[in-house]
Amino acid sequence: MFKKIFNKVIFILSLFFIVNLSSNASFCAEISPLDKIKERGSIMWGADAEGGAPYIFPDPKDPEKFIGFEVDLAEAIARELGVKAKHVQNAWDSLIPALERGDCDIAMNGIEITPQRKEHILFSRPYYVYVEQLVVRKEETAIKGIDDLKGKKVGTLSGTVAQNILEGMGGVDVKIYPGQVEPYEDLAIGRIDGVLLDLPIAAYYGKPNPKLKYAGNPMGEGLYGIAIRKEDENLKNKIDEIIDKLLRTGELKKIYEKWDLWNAAQEKLFENIQGERGYVDLEKSKSAPVYTFFPYLIKGAGVTILISVTSMALAIILGLFLTLLRLYGRKPFNNLAVAYIEIYRGTPLLIQLFILYYGLPNIGISMSPFLAAFIGLGMNYAAYEAELYRAGIMAVPKGQMEAGLSLGMSQGLTVQRIILPQAFRIALPGITNDFIALFKDSSLVSIIAMVELTKTYNILAASTLRFFELGLITAVLYFGMSYPLSLLARRLENKLKRKK
Amino acid sequence: MITVKDLHKSYNDLHLFKGISLNIKKGEVVAFIGPSGSGKSTFLRCINGLEYFQKGEVVVDGIELHSINRIDPTKEDLEAIRKIRLKVGMVFQQFNLFPHMTVLENIIEAPVRVLGIDKNTASENALALLRRINLENKVNCHPEDLSGGEQQRVAIVRALAMKPEVMLFDEPTSSLDPEMVGEVLSVIKDLVDEGMTTLIVTHLMHFAREISDRVVVFDKGDIIETGLPDEIFTNPKIGRTKLFLSRVLNK
Ligand SMILES: Nc1ncnc2c1ncn2[C@@H]1O[C@H](COP(=O)(O)OP(=O)(O)OP(=O)(O)O)[C@@H](O)[C@H]1O
Ligand SMILES: [Mg+2]
Repeated sequence: MFKKIFNKVIFILSLFFIVNLSSNASFCAEISPLDKIKERGSIMWGADAEGGAPYIFPDPKDPEKFIGFEVDLAEAIARELGVKAKHVQNAWDSLIPALERGDCDIAMNGIEITPQRKEHILFSRPYYVYVEQLVVRKEETAIKGIDDLKGKKVGTLSGTVAQNILEGMGGVDVKIYPGQVEPYEDLAIGRIDGVLLDLPIAAYYGKPNPKLKYAGNPMGEGLYGIAIRKEDENLKNKIDEIIDKLLRTGELKKIYEKWDLWNAAQEKLFENIQGERGYVDLEKSKSAPVYTFFPYLIKGAGVTILISVTSMALAIILGLFLTLLRLYGRKPFNNLAVAYIEIYRGTPLLIQLFILYYGLPNIGISMSPFLAAFIGLGMNYAAYEAELYRAGIMAVPKGQMEAGLSLGMSQGLTVQRIILPQAFRIALPGITNDFIALFKDSSLVSIIAMVELTKTYNILAASTLRFFELGLITAVLYFGMSYPLSLLARRLENKLKRKK
Repeated sequence: MITVKDLHKSYNDLHLFKGISLNIKKGEVVAFIGPSGSGKSTFLRCINGLEYFQKGEVVVDGIELHSINRIDPTKEDLEAIRKIRLKVGMVFQQFNLFPHMTVLENIIEAPVRVLGIDKNTASENALALLRRINLENKVNCHPEDLSGGEQQRVAIVRALAMKPEVMLFDEPTSSLDPEMVGEVLSVIKDLVDEGMTTLIVTHLMHFAREISDRVVVFDKGDIIETGLPDEIFTNPKIGRTKLFLSRVLNK
């Protein structure tokens, strides 16, 4: 079964590449990227401005404008090319796919030069030498350096060299975050024990926080390069020239000094270095057969199932409580139930999750990612379940309640024994459909550092750049889990129809 | 046994009962007749507290049910309603069996949950009742597998399982196919012969005449005439009763 699917995947994949190659080939022959940039009058550079200081971030004085050392660098490069710099926003995880897709001419956003990435794209000569800096809480005494991290929870960003270092050490509980702000916040409130990230990030987000401090010396030196599409060789050469010039004129140094990023390590930029120093070699993952990722993906699928099942259970119970309160509760409480249902149905789940996980700590309530995911999804879906139950209860003939009452049963007993079992049957197909929806919505909890199936996919794809085949496998996994539920829902619906 | 005094009942704008009274003795069988919408069902439903009423008094075997605003009933009112319902069984036009339960479960639900009778005893009682109406072979069926006549007989037995002292029937045969009316009427007749106090709303005039000790005629929310069945059906005193009877009997 799996082999069949796998063969199909390979087939589609090869089709994809053939189409890709041929279209690129014809493209190159027509017009060079450098000419296109000049003709357009702007160079489009991809970067993620969300929480991106000091690389690129909204100017606090004028949030419509982006600033940062890479903004300065992009403008310098554009000036040398005789064009304007135009920023293209993209999530950091997907900058390289966006580049390959042609959404931008170059991607420059603290992208480390690694052999895996070099398989897919070209890198300019390095423009910055980064180091990894460990940050811990001020009162921390046990962690003096990276060697003390065994058994600790350490945050980092997905697809970074820091992640590779941490995972390469073994025995470290690595927490993957979507942005660079969140890990330091979680560190400050004690959800994690340390954060390992590139020094510019640590310098901007970690160092100024009075609750945090640097632990040990920087380590794991590496290089940032500008990512360029493989076929745009002449653009790469031009950009190399420009960086060389900016180095020699001292303009690059001035930019780094302005952002307090200059240090002795940067002297290495003058050497003609192209290496991959400090990089923990995961070369194998690039060419590894796709089934080597199955254990990770299946573990992610397990987490997805766990989150879905537990939060659905919460939704079913809380939803029932809300419906009963709404239909049979006394005056102020029934209105509270209505308000709850309307508010939860009228606001995006994503915002609810953000408030729950990143917002509540501001007022002193902090919960683990799993707890936040469980409560967030469960409370949201409870509002929908409540409405399903209510519709179900309304659909039970009025005579059923009267029959119960006239037999001397109390209203509560009649609801429990007569009305709810019938209402539940009517609501069951809807509940099953909601379960399928919740199943897919559970991918949203990846934004709160919960590594479920979608996040596992993001992490694997970002480090191997195999977005396509891993994406297909992930989709197949989701489908494999939700399709049986769809079948169940349809069977229940048919059963119900036949009864009528 | 049952006393209704000065009963006032409104549905929103419709002032249906403007002070009606009726006394029913223990063991008496009373048939309620009258045009559609005249308030017969409402009258029965006021007696066992399925409808609230604005003014008046309903007394069942010494338990008093008073009027006033019942949107937010007091504890005493609820207690009185509960006690009355334990004494009064009701059978509906639409049977209202519980579709998710078997025949047996339908019958023992209230005895077990409300009276606290243990399940085995309740089941034995239920089987004895079913045997009397020749439905013991349907004991594990669901209502949907029964004919209308069988369902209504089970509904009667379900009410009897609570050992009521009064039975209310609201058009028990009106949703039945004609060939099934007889089997339900004969069950009611057996019950009456055993001396059950019975209030029955029916459109079957011959049955009302045959079974009842007294006939009560409703029109436009008022009791316009009460009397012995033979008197009402052969020699009604009120013109509107005559009009009603001539209309239904000529059909
Ligand atoms: N829940 C209700 N809300 C508003 N009006 C109602 C309600 N129930 C009954 N009525 C009205 O009260 C009046 C009496 O109704 P009721 O059902 O008691 O009459 P009935 O004598 O039983 O008639 P039928 O022979 O058709 O069953 C009718 O006009 C009816 O429209
Ligand atoms: Mg009626």
